[in-house]
Amino acid sequence: MLATTSSRICRRAALLRSWRRSVSTATSEEWDVVVVGGGPAGLALASALGSSQLVRESLRVALVEASDLSKVLDWTPATGTFSNRASSLTHKSQAFLKDIFAWDHVDEERTCLIQDMQVWDGVSDARIDFSASLLGLGTLGQGMARMTENLNLQRGLLRHLSSIPQVHILDKTKVQTIDHAEASGDWPLVHLDNGRVLRSRLLVGADGLNSPVRSFAKISSYGWAYDTQAIVATMSHPPRGAFMGPNTTAYQRFLPTGPIAFLPLSPMASSLVWSTKPPLAAALVASGPAVLGSMINAAFRLPDVSMRYLNQFILDAHASGSPATAPQIQAEIAWRERSHAIDETSAYASASIEAKIQGIPPTGAELLPPLVTSLQPGTVASFPLRFNHTDSYLGEGTGSRTVLVGDAAHTVHPLAGQGLNLGLADVECLARCIQDALLQGGDVGSRTALLPYAQERYFENHKIMSVMDKLHKLYSTSFEPVVWARSVGLEVVNEFDSVKAALMMEASGKGLGESSVWDLLAKGSESLAAATNAAKIIRTGVSGMLVTAVQGVLKTATSTSSRKH
Amino acid sequence: MHRHLLRRALHTSSSINPAEIAHFSRLSSQWWDEAGEFSFLHKMNPLLEVARDEQPAFNEPASSVLKGLDVLDVGCGGGLLSESLARLGAKTLGVDASEANISIAKLHAAQDPGLAQAGPSSLSYLHTPAEALLANPKRYDVVCSMEVLEHVDNPPEFLDTCSRLVKPGGHLFLSTISRTALAYFLTIFMAEDVLRKVSRGTHTHAKFIRPEELVAFFRKYPNADSPWVHAGRREPTRTQAEVRGLVYNPLGARWILAPRGAWGAAECNYLFWVRKPAAADERGHV
Repeated sequence: MLATTSSRICRRAALLRSWRRSVSTATSEEWDVVVVGGGPAGLALASALGSSQLVRESLRVALVEASDLSKVLDWTPATGTFSNRASSLTHKSQAFLKDIFAWDHVDEERTCLIQDMQVWDGVSDARIDFSASLLGLGTLGQGMARMTENLNLQRGLLRHLSSIPQVHILDKTKVQTIDHAEASGDWPLVHLDNGRVLRSRLLVGADGLNSPVRSFAKISSYGWAYDTQAIVATMSHPPRGAFMGPNTTAYQRFLPTGPIAFLPLSPMASSLVWSTKPPLAAALVASGPAVLGSMINAAFRLPDVSMRYLNQFILDAHASGSPATAPQIQAEIAWRERSHAIDETSAYASASIEAKIQGIPPTGAELLPPLVTSLQPGTVASFPLRFNHTDSYLGEGTGSRTVLVGDAAHTVHPLAGQGLNLGLADVECLARCIQDALLQGGDVGSRTALLPYAQERYFENHKIMSVMDKLHKLYSTSFEPVVWARSVGLEVVNEFDSVKAALMMEASGKGLGESSVWDLLAKGSESLAAATNAAKIIRTGVSGMLVTAVQGVLKTATSTSSRKH
Repeated sequence: MHRHLLRRALHTSSSINPAEIAHFSRLSSQWWDEAGEFSFLHKMNPLLEVARDEQPAFNEPASSVLKGLDVLDVGCGGGLLSESLARLGAKTLGVDASEANISIAKLHAAQDPGLAQAGPSSLSYLHTPAEALLANPKRYDVVCSMEVLEHVDNPPEFLDTCSRLVKPGGHLFLSTISRTALAYFLTIFMAEDVLRKVSRGTHTHAKFIRPEELVAFFRKYPNADSPWVHAGRREPTRTQAEVRGLVYNPLGARWILAPRGAWGAAECNYLFWVRKPAAADERGHV
């Protein structure tokens, strides 16, 4: 035993000598933190680190990004036009950005507070009305969340970073390979396309879904592609009519093909996120902005049976090689409206919008988003939806000193707009752990320093992601008992003020108390999901099970709320 | 002197136990495997917390409490604590009786550019028993010895050595395990036998020392006339000595330093701190 020990020591000593030799000729640069990826998460981490005096004094921080970030820094959109990628930033995310002094650089004029949320079931029409003001939440005018273009946020972060010379931004620089050498103590070596090699104490992967850092660290992830494509666009519409208040309500309708969301950006522009089946998404995008605009209006208004008819019409026309035209679709919508006895003055009519965008709004208009008149040019895009979660946020063994944040660690269904918020929460936590380690004299790349980050964020993200996933599955069916359970679920929640308050608090990142509302929602949606699964198999005795499920939701709700009082 | 300490003192003359050294030499390559055998130690860095608690009026940032101080880490192992101390600005010397440990510690520190650039005045290691340092005139502002006391053969001699290496007005920090049934259950039965988190044979229950035994030692040290801690049964004052429990929270996988006087917290792992009176000098030693 002693012999093996001493031979190991000899080997180590030889290693030490060879390492010292290699250092004298080495071309690698020493960095403490190398962040790969200049998206919102990577830039926010660089900003957070740069805003701490302790970090500025003790760590060398670099951010590597393949694209030209000066384009983002010089982004000057025309007034009234908006980028198609926008996120609803929760209060928690905004507070974090304020704490690191980055929010000052975000153009607040281009953001929009969400004061209310209208969410309803496309099949049963059961509806939840989330309103910040009615429930007296927060301070007046604070709203539930703030719609912010991702570019506006990125530009703000870059402006903030330009005042922090200690954080080095290496843009227009691709990461070619990442490896490690035993001689360098297995610290990650980041090889850049300009020949530089960065040896990093801590390597942060903020490099998105197909993260090269994650591949280097051999962190596996699990997940699945939803059979869903999301269409995004910036929609133009007339301002809200008299007596209707400003355009500060977010609308979301759950259709069996997926949810469609209308998110306000300004009085006359809003952001679309429409998740639907991939062939339909392809056909809708190919049919052009006029047809897509009419279909958006219809998708918020027509009963599900008519939407299915229109979807088929679009698909057939696309398959035949001659995509549907705007007049055709408008005629089809008019015909469907007549068959549903929807009067052309009704709030639910959208076949001819010219007459309806002026004058006194019809009854119920506040339950629906404004009528879309056009889509801003070049803003229509679509991308596939995925659920992805890595097995770990920390690399191990030869991939040690590696940590993942944001989309590199998790990709979430966008139906509650939580993706970017989760990423910012990761960044906030990681920056805090790095500072804690510095205060203790710790090595910021060590597992000991990073473990609290993984422990705090992994379960939290997983919980929210599972709720999103279960809601997606729950709302993707038109099977009747499930729809009934769904509508009961939604309506029960709508009647239950404290639950609503709790849901909204969390959606805006401001917990009511110690226990997280996502726990409650997770339990609730889990029992609903379990019951609906069972309902698919056994049609008899279904109601009993559903009642149990709904009771489950209520029980968790009441016990949670009573604990709080 | 407590009978338990005396009994052991009779058996050996040097505080170093050859079997203990061999045991840790075998494990030395694992020092920096943070998920392995020594993961508990990686998370144990309570010094600063105590320093901060003891100096509430400290106006400087918490990270600079140790800046510029001469610090000696006795039984530094792979250098887990020494590296942290050096990063916090302490002029750190780590010593260990195991040559393998010192090799590992040196190798690991050499790979860290932050430590390598700061040079040997910031962090150095020496393969030597602590007793050998007494021959040098150099004394230290802070002497610490984490999780070592329970492995030495002659605790009074070891304590005497450590104490003499402290400058007048300087600090001695010791963390160790108390000789209680709870400690046997957690550190030997659970950690070594059941969970196998720690190699068998790492700890010996009879070698554990109770906090009151340490306090009693310093009530008569270096002599009954001018001890570091006042004699009698009264609790030591906050400026003399302190015992604080270290409680491992397995859910959070981290150590919690219990508040002063927390009931039952020092039943297993604990941190002992004592201050050498400013007037004391070498002549006080017998």
